[in-house]
Amino acid sequence: MIEVQNLNLALGNFQMANLNLLLEEGVYHVLLGPTGSGKTLILESIIGLRNFQGGKVLIGGKEIQDLPPERRGISYLPQDLALFPHLTVRENLLYGLRAQKGSAWEKEKHLDGLIEVLKIGHLLDRFPQGLSGGEKQRVALGRALAPSPRLLLLDEPLAALDPALKTEIQQLLITLHHSLKFTALHVTHDLEEAYLLGEWISVLIQGRVEQSGKREEVFLRPHTVKVAQFLGLRNLFPERVLQVAEGGKLLTVSFWGREITLSTDHAARNFSPGEEVFLYLRPEEVMIIREGKPIKESLRQNIFPGEVVRLLDRGTHRWLFFQPRDRDLHLEIHLPNYIFRNLSLREGQKIHVAMRRESFWVLPA
Amino acid sequence: MNFKKTAICAALALFLFYLLLIFSLLTFLEGRGFLEVFFAPDTLFSIRLSLLAATITTILAMVIGLPAAYALSRTSFPGKKLVDTFLELPMIMSPVALGAALLLFFNTPIGASIQEKGILFVFEFPGIVLAQFATVAGLATRLMKTALDEISPRFEDVARSLGSSAWEAFWKITFPLAFRGLLSALILCWAKAIGEFGATVTLAGTMSFKTETMPIAIFMALASADIRKTIILILILAGIGLSALYAVRLVEKRA
Repeated sequence: MIEVQNLNLALGNFQMANLNLLLEEGVYHVLLGPTGSGKTLILESIIGLRNFQGGKVLIGGKEIQDLPPERRGISYLPQDLALFPHLTVRENLLYGLRAQKGSAWEKEKHLDGLIEVLKIGHLLDRFPQGLSGGEKQRVALGRALAPSPRLLLLDEPLAALDPALKTEIQQLLITLHHSLKFTALHVTHDLEEAYLLGEWISVLIQGRVEQSGKREEVFLRPHTVKVAQFLGLRNLFPERVLQVAEGGKLLTVSFWGREITLSTDHAARNFSPGEEVFLYLRPEEVMIIREGKPIKESLRQNIFPGEVVRLLDRGTHRWLFFQPRDRDLHLEIHLPNYIFRNLSLREGQKIHVAMRRESFWVLPA
Repeated sequence: MNFKKTAICAALALFLFYLLLIFSLLTFLEGRGFLEVFFAPDTLFSIRLSLLAATITTILAMVIGLPAAYALSRTSFPGKKLVDTFLELPMIMSPVALGAALLLFFNTPIGASIQEKGILFVFEFPGIVLAQFATVAGLATRLMKTALDEISPRFEDVARSLGSSAWEAFWKITFPLAFRGLLSALILCWAKAIGEFGATVTLAGTMSFKTETMPIAIFMALASADIRKTIILILILAGIGLSALYAVRLVEKRA
């Protein structure tokens, strides 16, 4: 287990106070946050390239913050890869193995396995300048993984890649992680990348870990409005807790002038009556009611009339903006193309929408 | 005339200016006596002295200038801007003033005690090296810093994460990558040291077969109205200097 405890760091106007981060062994951990949130500073602190004012970094319970970078057993993959241009691919791969214990035969065998997984055997005698973008990524990954690091730090390694190459390297990272089970901390601001790669995600905003959890939890159940906004969630409606019942297990919350009762399984934390909250509604879970179709009893209470104000073609999906009757707000609804075609919707059309209780998420204002 | 052509004309005009200067010297030569002056004992001594002093100066400038350049390129420390500014002192200060400052230093109690301990600088060979060092060390450091600036510090960061100490990361990664830039810097400094006159003549004097470097020999020949010797010495010095500069171009071209 790798821990960052109470990290305090100040750089110019930027401040990071008492930051904690826990990385489980063998887990691909993504540190997700906007530009300038301090992601790279954390990476540099863990690896020992940046002095911090207070805090500890522990690997397997042992403090390593006073060790020089070369004695921490942490590999680092920067965005520009930094392949050594004066060394061949083979020499690049061997660089981290030279200082390691073990016989030359063992090292060669270990490296051969890695070369096979990465499919870079034909590149060994070439120099980095002559490699394609994908080949460079593979070699850089091989070089970082060759010494079997206790932790692999990846600093936005896919940020500058074109979409096709990005997908290829993402798949490679998943394959490598499945076969080698290394512990990784991958820094990115890309939501899609974080969701695809991260088994565990920590959201860092303005030098603070706002939320840390399994990817589904973070993406579907944000704990704060800051996280929700960073994740691009737009169906956030300011409402109020009206009642807490059954020993705190049921919450009654106002919603567009009505009352809706939800289980606390759908709330970020415990709330008190009268407390202001945000209700988040997942855009892909809003249903459009077809005229003449029977409606489930459980949905009847949550049906709202209104109008389609705008339709956006997003390629694989249509985005529909719905304005409830007598309310000056918009609800974003995502519809797969085949459903959109079946409904024959157009802008200005009067429709009814319905929401299941399970589609709501309550978070503090 | 368009902008590009005007710029090219300016460059060619400068080239012709210097070429004319060199060729004008040839008009004074009668075509014989070149080898006689070249192989004269005092000329050979001056050439040897200049080459030796400039080489020692360049080695010293590298030994002290390289770590200094690294510090200025890669680290931040209190007073860094002040140190950086002082490196340009030899560029804005007349070499004669620099030599005079050195001469006066050896008249202070500290300077005098250095001399008394047997390390003689004033009017001695070490004085030539010191004067040249004072003139080129700042430039050498500045040029080597530029060479190091061109190498991303990320290479060293990655090398360290792969088990290299800071020293090892520098020698195995940064140094080979910056080698051509550093070599160019040192050749330029060597060429500047070869041609150094003002500080050397002030600190080391003009003693024949002792402190008479090439530039001093030119000065002495001119002072004694020996035009033929003056011109031949100038041509030798220009030849050595231009060869060094051409070597820099070759090194940079391969980089």
